[in-house]
Amino acid sequence: MAVESEHVTADVIEAMEFPDLSRRYAVRGVPKIVINETTEFVGALPEADYLAQVRRAIEGNGGSQQ
Amino acid sequence: MALISDKDRETIRTHFEENLTGDVEIVMFTERESPIIVPGKEPCEMCAQTQQLLEEVTSLSEKLKLTVHDIALATAEASALNIDRVPAFVFKGASRGQVRFFGIPSGYEFSALIADLIDVSKGTTELSEETRKYLSELKEDINIKVFTTPT
Repeated sequence: MAVESEHVTADVIEAMEFPDLSRRYAVRGVPKIVINETTEFVGALPEADYLAQVRRAIEGNGGSQQ
Repeated sequence: MALISDKDRETIRTHFEENLTGDVEIVMFTERESPIIVPGKEPCEMCAQTQQLLEEVTSLSEKLKLTVHDIALATAEASALNIDRVPAFVFKGASRGQVRFFGIPSGYEFSALIADLIDVSKGTTELSEETRKYLSELKEDINIKVFTTPT
């Protein structure tokens, strides 16, 4: 997604090496995805569902539950 | 000792030859090993190994280049890219947005690294038409964090 838009920054974070970040974002399973600090989910999603999560983060309806 | 086996090197080399189009520079931030122990500060356990892995990967194609900065010295470069911890690296190529890796890309993340290098080289992805259209029209800034483990 970051390759396709100048507005997207994608961070791949190795959770074991950065326990402070893992604690801050309550990482208990991987892959855990956090979008704009508001929307989060665990596990791989089909592309359309992933995009729906991005839309949700933008529209301010974050806090989607796993 | 090499981190990537001879067999994998040849597979990746061929994959790069077939798929890399434009040049990609990997800009890595590391921490030099210091003989001085600073109380309260953990040494960077994976910095040397991450650098070695990236050196091995970039040696497999003339289109790839690695630049390594010491984060203590390259403060302007690091802050321009919002890099505040090591090991970390970003790609400079045909990508519109920024892809950043924090920590060593081993295990499954190694294949993500190879795939990302190809996408950044091409400046496009294999995402669907709908997703790509949505992203091209995006006006808001989006940050996506993906937490992984080295398995």
